[in-house]
Amino acid sequence: MFDYYAYGLRFCSEFELPELSAVGHQADDVDVFVSLGEVTEDDLKGARQISPYIWVRENDFFLEVPGVAQFRVTSGSSILVSPSVNIDFDSVRLFLLGSCFGALLMQRGYLVLHGNAIEIGDRCIVCVGPSGVGKSTLSTAFMKRGYRILADDVVPIDGQGDVVPGIPRVKVWDDVVSKLSIKNEGLTLIRPGLSKYNLPLDLSYCDVTRRVSHLFILSGSNIDSVEVDYVHGIEKFSSLSNNTYRHRFVKGMNLEKVHLQQCGALAGKIKMAHVQRPKLGFQIDQLVDRLLLEVEEPC
Amino acid sequence: MGGIYWLASYPKSGNTWFRAVLSNCLLNSKEPININDLQTDAIASSRVWFDDVLGFDSADLTMREIECLRPDVYRWMKSEFPDRIGYHKIHDAYSLGENGRPLVDDLGTLGAVYILRNPLDVAPSLAHHSHVDLDTAINMMCDPNHCLSRSKNKLSNQLQQRLGSWSQHVESWVDATDLNVFVLRYEDMQYEPSKSFGEAFSFLDVSYVPDQLERAIAFSKFENLVDQEKANGFRERPAKASHFFRKGKVGEWRQVLSADQITRLISEHGNVMQRFGYLDDNGRPV
Repeated sequence: MFDYYAYGLRFCSEFELPELSAVGHQADDVDVFVSLGEVTEDDLKGARQISPYIWVRENDFFLEVPGVAQFRVTSGSSILVSPSVNIDFDSVRLFLLGSCFGALLMQRGYLVLHGNAIEIGDRCIVCVGPSGVGKSTLSTAFMKRGYRILADDVVPIDGQGDVVPGIPRVKVWDDVVSKLSIKNEGLTLIRPGLSKYNLPLDLSYCDVTRRVSHLFILSGSNIDSVEVDYVHGIEKFSSLSNNTYRHRFVKGMNLEKVHLQQCGALAGKIKMAHVQRPKLGFQIDQLVDRLLLEVEEPC
Repeated sequence: MGGIYWLASYPKSGNTWFRAVLSNCLLNSKEPININDLQTDAIASSRVWFDDVLGFDSADLTMREIECLRPDVYRWMKSEFPDRIGYHKIHDAYSLGENGRPLVDDLGTLGAVYILRNPLDVAPSLAHHSHVDLDTAINMMCDPNHCLSRSKNKLSNQLQQRLGSWSQHVESWVDATDLNVFVLRYEDMQYEPSKSFGEAFSFLDVSYVPDQLERAIAFSKFENLVDQEKANGFRERPAKASHFFRKGKVGEWRQVLSADQITRLISEHGNVMQRFGYLDDNGRPV
């Protein structure tokens, strides 16, 4: 068995999870068990199908990634993994650490957002937005400036409005590696067939919780320079809801009432802004500078 | 009965204009609709749509895996919204995936309106839109491997779309078996708008009265779309293009294309051009 620590939780796994922080000794009080096994037809009886490859019951979440694995996440405390025949474990872990961990953290009562969390002083900013808008590029750019990253992709926020530190790595595409002059010797691909790398955070990993000060909602637009428009009132609430990680999971697992309360509570505590960046001729450092300005940090 | 009607076309063939008229008809307002708030649904290649339905990141999938899974996303819409009709733009050619499944199949699809335009007019429009010269645009239209949003080392906000050549694209949709297709020419939309849009909307199960249709057509006149874009921008404009709505004319090719360029396009696409009335019996442009 292998022992790890992530998201404030102790994991005990039947197979290695090298992306997580290893615990040097056998962990007491394991919070989450990750095991290998089968998901059977009987297991799905009574579960409601909420998407082509997702079935749910109260506290029971089933996900299939065709050709990769089936997963079962139960009561926020166990994950059963059934790998497809001949699949590599890099691919299995990719979806385990993404969608499955997202479901796990929801089951454990966190508000989970789809973005990244960057430590600024004694607080953090959370940047959300659609795939391809540049969230991981932004994480990497902040790293290069000496800032630490709490989480990338799956960002859990507790009832106090604190981000819980996640997995100490960022997934970066080949073009980001080139653009930000990152040395790619020794970097591993996230899975075979994709030009995307695991970039370990090492000293750039923030392993303590940080209270969220700002939420920035990123988008690309036909403009010449970065534009920031703050959100107020009820729109803050809807913006949070719209940028929740896998809203379908929240609805499917009957967590909507809790989710609404979480969004309402967080909206009242933080500043929130839409941040549009130019689609063309855009320099990531311009965005970093602007966000630091908004948070009143020296650039 | 729910499902998806696809609004299919090769790029720069009038899809956005069609969606503007359709949106104005559906909304049936006294004012023209804002072009940035069209009432039609997500483009088939939307990564956001794909990721939301499947529950895992397309950014972590190979192109092959994505192509195999896209049909499931479209089929699912009928399961989730059994009584809703969706109108979705699509630029992909109609094709079969490696697993033999069509990209859009009859389990989720009610039908498709396929909009085509004289390739002699598509070429200059495509050149402007893609910020390339005419010969490059013509090469794209003749390339059987041409794709949109293809990238192996970075992430586009849309999924890769296989177009094939212009001829292949047209034939893939209009000759698709087991698919209910209504073919509409851009030129007929220009010269016989009431008849063309009216027949297309009837095919799409859109109920309308004559005044509503005429108003929708008037609100969507090309000059109005140009004016709106000048005033408020258009979010579908690619960053490299100076504007999205350019001229919207039929026959601009006569002023723009060289004799060699015309010859090349006719040489490559003559069969399909003749089939749809763009060439006369002697193979000359109409």
